[in-house]
Amino acid sequence: MSDKLEAYLEEISHFLSGRAEREEILSEIRSHILEKAAEGTGASGTAGAPGDAAVDEAIAAFGPARKVAGRYVDDRPIIAPAYKRYLFRYTSMLFAVHAALTVLAVVFKKDFVIFPFLFMPKLGIIDALMYLPMAFLADLGIVAVVLYFITQSGKDVKLPWPKFAVDLDEVKPPKKSFWLSRVATAVGAVIMLAVTDFALYVFARHQTIFFANADWDNLRPLFMPAPGRRISLIVIAMFAASTMALFVKLFTRSRWVDVASNAVTIGLVGLLLRQPVDDLFVAEIAGRFSPRIVTWGKYSVLITLLFIALMTTIELVKGIVVISRRKLSQVK
Amino acid sequence: MTNNEPDIGSLETEMNRGFLHILVLALLEKDMYGYSMVKHIETLGYKVEENTLYPLLRRLEKNGWIASKWNLTEDRPRKFYAITAAGRALRANLLDVWKTQNRVLEKINKETSHV
Repeated sequence: MSDKLEAYLEEISHFLSGRAEREEILSEIRSHILEKAAEGTGASGTAGAPGDAAVDEAIAAFGPARKVAGRYVDDRPIIAPAYKRYLFRYTSMLFAVHAALTVLAVVFKKDFVIFPFLFMPKLGIIDALMYLPMAFLADLGIVAVVLYFITQSGKDVKLPWPKFAVDLDEVKPPKKSFWLSRVATAVGAVIMLAVTDFALYVFARHQTIFFANADWDNLRPLFMPAPGRRISLIVIAMFAASTMALFVKLFTRSRWVDVASNAVTIGLVGLLLRQPVDDLFVAEIAGRFSPRIVTWGKYSVLITLLFIALMTTIELVKGIVVISRRKLSQVK
Repeated sequence: MTNNEPDIGSLETEMNRGFLHILVLALLEKDMYGYSMVKHIETLGYKVEENTLYPLLRRLEKNGWIASKWNLTEDRPRKFYAITAAGRALRANLLDVWKTQNRVLEKINKETSHV
């Protein structure tokens, strides 16, 4: 018997793995192909083996193994179309809880447990930034598994649809005209370029861009030289990244630009958060205020940076969700 | 092809899905095996995708509308199918649906031909 026929049946068998009637299906396909091939070589009605070329032809006419096996598989999708939008809504809600707990774990330096679903260990800032994308993927997986089981049960389960803020479905592209939006982006890009250039100029002259006064002829640095230099460079890098993103957006409206820009911003904020806050302010500034106010100042900066990181992360996740939804809706 | 033109291929596949049920149930008044059905349908001036027919036969059998039996006495093993009583009842119902649809379309055709 043709090796090619056996290989073909073996391939179909692979895709039908786990189905009790697999052997029966394969026998019937074998019978059909041999019969057709025999007819092609004029051996119809006899037990004689058909030629290899005729078998090849019959196999080609029957179709690719995966497609053939696919016809036997139940039509039920992994997640029913009606539940697809729940996947992202529920993931967003679960991730919001995760993100909030992460912020609390970082700020209060404590473990958090919502029995039995979530355990949030005490996290450092960098740990938290690394942890959030993993948390998002885990949340997506949990929701997908639940929706998978609901779909496979075949029951008509009515799931709640909590409405909060702006529905992602309702996020529509800006209604501004093509040229108006391009002009706005160009103006933004030019302003950001000017800001970045000015910051670079100031940095070249003073080794910092943060000052305690606004007297141009007698500027006094706000931070100590070493941390001031590092923080200034990171902030200038953030300006430069925003400028580049705006210039790229002049040529493409792809959401990937925002995703990339947000990812860079999160990385830079992470670098800022890694900077030690002790002995941050120059002695003159620190001495002017009580230690309590200086401490509050440090924590205010930290909380502001955390807030920026959180907002940027939300924007990043939102961008990825919107892109994923579009990709999914394009899949037939 | 412009974007406004319908994809007749996928639409035809959808239409064939229902038609194939009636066709197979009508054919199996006489015992037949898969390949003989494919050949017979071809002689009637219609073509059925071979890899579509067998899964359909399996589904009809699962629902009790047709029954099958392997014949090992001839030169080659062949799986013969025959319609059951439940299959005949289903065929009658499907034919009624098909006739109603045909009647509606013909009426609309007549109406629009006068416009």
